[in-house]
Amino acid sequence: MTTPTTTAPPERTVTLREIGPARRGTRPDEVVVALSPAFAGHFSKTIVDVPHAEVLRQLMAGIEEQGVTARLIRVRDTADLAAISHIAAKMSGSGISVGILSRGTTMIHQKDLARLSNLELFPQSPLLDAPVFRMIGSNAAQYAKGESPQPVPTRNDQMARPRWQAKAALLHLKEFECIEADRGPVEVEAVFGPGTAG
Amino acid sequence: MSTRDDGPTGTRLVVGVDIGNSTTEACLAEVGPDGSVSYLGTDLTRTTGVKGTPANTAGALTAIRGALARGGRGADRVATVLLNEATPVISGLAMETITETIITESTMIGHNPTTPGGEGLGVGTTVSIAGLGTAEPGQPVVCVVPPGWDFDDAAAAINTAVAGGAEVVAAILAGDDAVLVTNRLTRPVPVVDEVAAVEKVPLGMLAAVEVAPPGRTIRTLSNSYGLATVFELDPAQTRQVSPVARALTGNRSAVVVRTPSGDVTDRRIPVGELVLRGAGKTLRVDVDAGAEAIMEAVARAQPLDDAHGEPGTHVGGMLAQVRDTMADVMDTPGQPAVPVSEIAIRDVLAVDTFVPAEVRGGLAGEVALENAVALAAMVRTSRSRMQLVADLVSEGLGAAAVIGGVEGEMAVNGALTTPGVDRPVAVLDLGGGSTDAALLTREGECTAVHVAGAGELVTKLIDSELALGDREVAEGVKRFPLAKVESFFHVRHEDGTVQFFDQPLPPHVYARVVVLSPEGPAPVPTRHGLDHVRRLRREAKRRVFVVNALRALRQVAPGGNIRALEFVVLLGGSALDFEIPDMIADALAPYGIVCGTGNVLGTEGPRNAVASGLVRAYAAEPVRSGPAAPVR
Amino acid sequence: MTSTAPRQSTGHQQSLRTEILEARSVNLDGFVEEWPEKGLVAMESAFDPAPSVRVEDGRIVELDGKLRDDFDFMDTFIANHAIDVTSAEESNALPSAQVARMLIDPSVSRDEVLAVTRGLTPAKVLDVVKLMNVVEIMQGMQKMRARRTPANQGHSTSARDNPIQVAADAAEGALRGFAELETTLGVLRYAPLVAIALQVGAQVGRGGVLTQCALEEATELELGMRGITAYAETISIYGTESVFIDGDDTPWSKAFLAGAYASRGIKMRFTSGTGSEVQMGNAEGKSMLYLEIRCILMAKGAGVQGLQNGSISCIGVPGAVPGGLRAVAAENLVASMVDLECASGNDQSFSHSAMRRTARAMPQLLPGTDFVCSGYSSVPNADNMFAGSNFDTEDFDDWNTIQRDFQVDGGLRHVREDEILQAREKAARALQAVFAHLDLPPITDDEVVAATYANSSNDYPFRDVLSDLKGAQSVMERGITGLELVKALESSGFHDVAENLLTVLRQRVSGDLLQTSAILTADFVPLSAINDPNDYAGPGTGYRLEGERWEQLKKLRHVTSSTNPETEVG
Repeated sequence: MTTPTTTAPPERTVTLREIGPARRGTRPDEVVVALSPAFAGHFSKTIVDVPHAEVLRQLMAGIEEQGVTARLIRVRDTADLAAISHIAAKMSGSGISVGILSRGTTMIHQKDLARLSNLELFPQSPLLDAPVFRMIGSNAAQYAKGESPQPVPTRNDQMARPRWQAKAALLHLKEFECIEADRGPVEVEAVFGPGTAG
Repeated sequence: MSTRDDGPTGTRLVVGVDIGNSTTEACLAEVGPDGSVSYLGTDLTRTTGVKGTPANTAGALTAIRGALARGGRGADRVATVLLNEATPVISGLAMETITETIITESTMIGHNPTTPGGEGLGVGTTVSIAGLGTAEPGQPVVCVVPPGWDFDDAAAAINTAVAGGAEVVAAILAGDDAVLVTNRLTRPVPVVDEVAAVEKVPLGMLAAVEVAPPGRTIRTLSNSYGLATVFELDPAQTRQVSPVARALTGNRSAVVVRTPSGDVTDRRIPVGELVLRGAGKTLRVDVDAGAEAIMEAVARAQPLDDAHGEPGTHVGGMLAQVRDTMADVMDTPGQPAVPVSEIAIRDVLAVDTFVPAEVRGGLAGEVALENAVALAAMVRTSRSRMQLVADLVSEGLGAAAVIGGVEGEMAVNGALTTPGVDRPVAVLDLGGGSTDAALLTREGECTAVHVAGAGELVTKLIDSELALGDREVAEGVKRFPLAKVESFFHVRHEDGTVQFFDQPLPPHVYARVVVLSPEGPAPVPTRHGLDHVRRLRREAKRRVFVVNALRALRQVAPGGNIRALEFVVLLGGSALDFEIPDMIADALAPYGIVCGTGNVLGTEGPRNAVASGLVRAYAAEPVRSGPAAPVR
Repeated sequence: MTSTAPRQSTGHQQSLRTEILEARSVNLDGFVEEWPEKGLVAMESAFDPAPSVRVEDGRIVELDGKLRDDFDFMDTFIANHAIDVTSAEESNALPSAQVARMLIDPSVSRDEVLAVTRGLTPAKVLDVVKLMNVVEIMQGMQKMRARRTPANQGHSTSARDNPIQVAADAAEGALRGFAELETTLGVLRYAPLVAIALQVGAQVGRGGVLTQCALEEATELELGMRGITAYAETISIYGTESVFIDGDDTPWSKAFLAGAYASRGIKMRFTSGTGSEVQMGNAEGKSMLYLEIRCILMAKGAGVQGLQNGSISCIGVPGAVPGGLRAVAAENLVASMVDLECASGNDQSFSHSAMRRTARAMPQLLPGTDFVCSGYSSVPNADNMFAGSNFDTEDFDDWNTIQRDFQVDGGLRHVREDEILQAREKAARALQAVFAHLDLPPITDDEVVAATYANSSNDYPFRDVLSDLKGAQSVMERGITGLELVKALESSGFHDVAENLLTVLRQRVSGDLLQTSAILTADFVPLSAINDPNDYAGPGTGYRLEGERWEQLKKLRHVTSSTNPETEVG
């Protein structure tokens, strides 16, 4: 098999440019991706070192491939994944959102669901890699189109506990530190750094 | 005077018990000295063990006690328990895939990915993306992108090559990236993606890539002359590639590579013979000849004496297995083994079906609907062990228990309690393993038949045709109407009506096709739309129940003439189905027959016909040999 | 990507030794620095409150620096129900060092210690155990354990929820010595069949073994009330109000549930453990052990007889911070020193390193606890539906050897192959008969043979899951109870098993299993803190591994005979 020339590309980076207060969308063909307070800010990668730039690129690519538009917001006043995702779902023109924490834990939410419920939840952050984020984006977009995607297979690893449980707790606490109470969600634009063409 | 006669003088408490393949039903009644019957209660429980074997005792006792409890009577008051003469029936199902699609020389890609990119037709020589730099300017090329390439990098590489003069007219991608890549191209081209084995695409060959606009299907590659035009084929070559065009019909995207002898073939898989013996002849039919040929042979060998399949095939194995199971069931410790001659396959139902199967030689996991034949078979014995069951029931209950009548006759007898029914009447008992018919003529003569194939075969067809691989889900699809969950607060039923809910539906059914089971909506894990699932479900029911209804009625109807029947009463578990009775009634309508679901005793619906028939038969006996004495 | 992939090398040249060390499994474990402000600290934190208590009019009005008006509901519950008001001020006035010394001093009896500890506040308890190193904690545990005779608990689950597997493994587990067996499900609807299988298998292996099925609370309670299971354990409690509220619970709701079990004579214990609050981000800046002590006192206040603790499913958190396993040992001790039965953890996948896994269990195994493991996987970990245990079937021989090496009783023993095969076969047969009698989906003879010789769920023929689930549903609908199982066993010729199960069920009426740390011996004698109280009073006293039991534990798979060294004994 041909080896891609891009096996070790210059690592892509992402910066988030704030555009203004997040609005409620009206386009039925959008998925709102909501980022936690420290995502691609205080932190730059997930618990297993997947760069946030790649997480975002893959989530957005999964949405774009389905012909749906991704809109990004950052939620600043909570680090609770269900809350982040639900806020975003309420703002999404399609009612569908993807919420993500800095450590990688991800959720697909819908506006009519109870806050603590969800469409799909990916709780084991150490097992989420780029292809999984792509599938999550793709499924969210398919829900937005009213299709019935097969849920992204969730993985399980009994030995994730000894390796990652404490780091996950630590990252969670750090994310809490980045909460800015009383500051509403903002619309952001992802500006990807080197390595990206097109 | 027996202590069991506590009612008006001569009144006797009797229980009719019907041991069926899957359920055991009881009917409790008081029979007056004049033969008048007053029904006191019924009950239904699961049959324990194979019908007609001593293991039935437990279920029979449960049903009897249930009916007694409902009727408010004690077991000590029962004069007689009436059991049906039931012979063990064992049914089996098997399926043989009889066709196989093979793509040779990787000549086409036809998996129809959900999101191809671009639009139009591109024809050029296949070149790996890594070799784009050396592509000759002005020479149209189809770019092949192996796994591991990021969409941004792939688009950039193509844009660079195009800027350098290369004429990239189309692309084939390993990943699900077609829209992403197309969106990033300076000059968009048709792109087909999700080609898992993209490395097998022959390089340096002329290839055509076609993508139709959303909601349309391809026009050129699915047309033999389109292919001939694109690849400049002569008539002989056009004939050769026409299967390719056919295979791509209905796709939104496709790739065809011009290889020296690339082909798509539909091969028949030999799966052995079915040997049918009956009516004094022995007929052999190839299973891969299909259901029609098999059923024709079955019809010619009526009444069937036995059937055998080829060892090593699914059908052969299944036939051998039902025979073995029956032999095991009939084996009584301390008695000589049952002669094999008594265990014979008495009916076979073949149904044409299809099985989604991965195409051999495919590059992208193409799935073809391969033809298959599903076969249901049924074995009966003449040997009944019901007397033993009666003895055990008698012992367990402390009351007399006798064989009160033959199943088919009793069913008709019970069906006659349905308001509006009169002789001549035929009943159709739609069960799980077999479909049974019985006819009672105006003169009181009764004939009964059992034919293979019923509810379980329907489940199997649904399971395999939808590629569910989950009998529980298939069972749900069979039993309950479908709906599409359109939001958390409303569903659209299969008839198009909308139902709203106050409370949100559970998240796992959101946006899915669901079956509306009594426990709530349950998702059907399929990519197919509601209409497709519905059509397939109804078709499965038609091919089994409608076909078997006609088959069975023909066998009992005078001279095989269905028109000679007047009333047909549907009984059994599948008569409770939400659409099967209507489908059968529709099929019988042209024969001028009154057909409907039974309502035994005017209250029991299609249930309890045999049990209440036993009671009626008992009451109708002109002379009884005095009051039965208590057993102990 | 798997979480157990080796770490990436940093790129620059490493010594060959470093390469070897990098490849050691211990380096697959995760370790983090402490962060006391946020509660990411085991037991030594400047942010934990200082002990204090004030009683007015028979009411605690101040607890660990907080006035009653400022109490959260945990404080209120503990002040009202857990602390002995009459002795509180006096006990808390004792210097912590003196209380710590009482815990290890053989000349101070367990009862004398309890007279003091029942009045201690959470911060005072913490202040006491903070003075103790891990050996002293073990000494304390040796004396404070409620039951004199240590025991062990096993997990018996199946990755395919296969009831035959659960029955056979339960029988083997019971035979090997587990006093309690616990199961849970992948597909919850399978629960009734698997719970029946566990009960039947356990009573085949050894009459009197107690079983439970961990489920959501309502179904777990119902199975218990019907007598299909014998006890319950997975009733989780937490150390902060916010975590409780997140779970839609309060100490009172948990106490009510405990009352429901007690009303039917069903043994039950709560579950808690260090790290759960910080894991959920709601530690309120308190150390893991301080919060766990609040849980322990809450359990005490709710009136339950015991607690499963030792971090349990959060073991990765204390396991990653300095002194974490000392804190875990201390939380077990605290449960015992307030007179609760302690099922002491060692029940979740804890480390990639075999050496660390073994070391983690020493503070419980060496002094002995009421249940050294609150779930030793008596199935291969791949079949463990509790997400894996610290020990599994592959470790049986190691465990037995360690017991023999140190002459300690970890509750298990080596059992000869022929006995095991016989028990497994009988369990599968008994379940086959019970299923047939109850008209549940049949178990074939092939399945019985498979169960006899199997290791994991992969070694069994596939079940018809659809029929099984329908059968499971019918168990619930038909109202089948433990007595139905007894009848089924009796009428199908398994008289001894029926007798065993009936005797276990009779405990419901006598209520003996409600006593602290109660288990049943093979003779169905309840062994609890009442009739088998821990009487440790220094060397030569208390539970000693000796006599017949020691002879049992001397046996291993391969021991060379001293009479004839060319042969092996056993």
